Amino acid sequence: MSNYKLYYGNARGRAEITRLIFAQAGQKFEDLRWEQDEWPRYKAEMPLGQVPVLEVDGIKIPQSISIARFVAKQFNLAGRDNLEQAKVDSVVDTIVDLMEKIIPVMLEKDEQKKQKGLETFQQEDLPKQLQNLETLLTNYGQTGPYFLGSNLTWADLMFFRIVEILQGLVKIQDFLDKYPKLKRNQDEVQNQPRIAAYLKARPQTLF
Amino acid sequence: MAKNDITFYYFDLRARGEISRLILACGGKNYKDIRFNFEQWPEYKPKMILGQCPVLELENGLQLPQSLAVARYLARENNLAGKNNLESAQIDAVIDTQLDTYNKFLPQFFEEDETKKKEEMEKLLSVNMPILVENLQKLRQAYSGKNSKYFVGDSLTWADLFVFDSIQQLLHGLPGAKEKYADQFKEYLDPVTSDARLKEYLKSRPDFKVI
Repeated sequence: MSNYKLYYGNARGRAEITRLIFAQAGQKFEDLRWEQDEWPRYKAEMPLGQVPVLEVDGIKIPQSISIARFVAKQFNLAGRDNLEQAKVDSVVDTIVDLMEKIIPVMLEKDEQKKQKGLETFQQEDLPKQLQNLETLLTNYGQTGPYFLGSNLTWADLMFFRIVEILQGLVKIQDFLDKYPKLKRNQDEVQNQPRIAAYLKARPQTLF
Repeated sequence: MAKNDITFYYFDLRARGEISRLILACGGKNYKDIRFNFEQWPEYKPKMILGQCPVLELENGLQLPQSLAVARYLARENNLAGKNNLESAQIDAVIDTQLDTYNKFLPQFFEEDETKKKEEMEKLLSVNMPILVENLQKLRQAYSGKNSKYFVGDSLTWADLFVFDSIQQLLHGLPGAKEKYADQFKEYLDPVTSDARLKEYLKSRPDFKVI
């Protein structure tokens, strides 16, 4: 029986995808969360001085997406064979492309630049990647509702994450209205019993 | 070449495609290496599943987009992705760490604003490269097998290939990098250049065109 320890701040951020995967798998793990002033103490113990880090059987793995993929594979949430796993990876990478576009905008301190960035994101990046995701869902998932069809994988959980970031933090609503398959996907995921229970119970943090 | 070989579609560049070509060369199986220039891209774009490249097309016509998803799939198919899930994760972490620098570098390489490009490249050289060197050393120490010259475990994996390829691109395209870092990176390049499976490919592949 492996022992899993997840190190991160007391926030959703880059660790939340892994927490969602553990929740869907029904798997216990040590969810280490520290406040900002405790960070210097832990930083030195982390392989690259960054978080999240997953410790499993004494080995520390950095890099949030690699951690998520590892945990998903451990609990059969990554696809049943190499080809399915590749389809899942290409969906995840497409979602990450979208995340990388919105994060700098969210962190922008200059209000004017931020507004301009938001405009570009909503007019160009968001429609482009939503269309890409709808294409992948249709191609790989056929009648759905999940990206691999009737099997939920961490690709669906990643999509759930980007939607909750866009709706909750960036405050963009209604963007799924034009993409019925994606909307159905998001509905199905948040109504999964383990996910619904986790969302009710998880700590409420700013981000 | 059989009618039903897999097909790899990318620009006639290394950039984000070369890692897959290296993995395929290491695996030794035949494949169609379709390369096109920027002028020819509009002809290929509508045929690609997301209108972007690289794309891997399987024998039955199914297409996989996203350079790293493709590379990881090929690595697994060719036994270059570690001997268990944990090793695969260590490999992924090494690659993500390399990408932290490479993903900043590649867009700047193609940046048209010369002033911005110069500024960003200088930052990469003075700030990001030292961090990369340190991080690669830390991971190698933690993940390499005892007495192993490979990044993860005891044999060649796509972590070695990825580090090799992106370091070569950085030394080629980041001004000042060759002078400062070529010696330091030698230990990461040697395990790849000395691998018998890659000898032919490394000799015969096209030289750098742009990147």
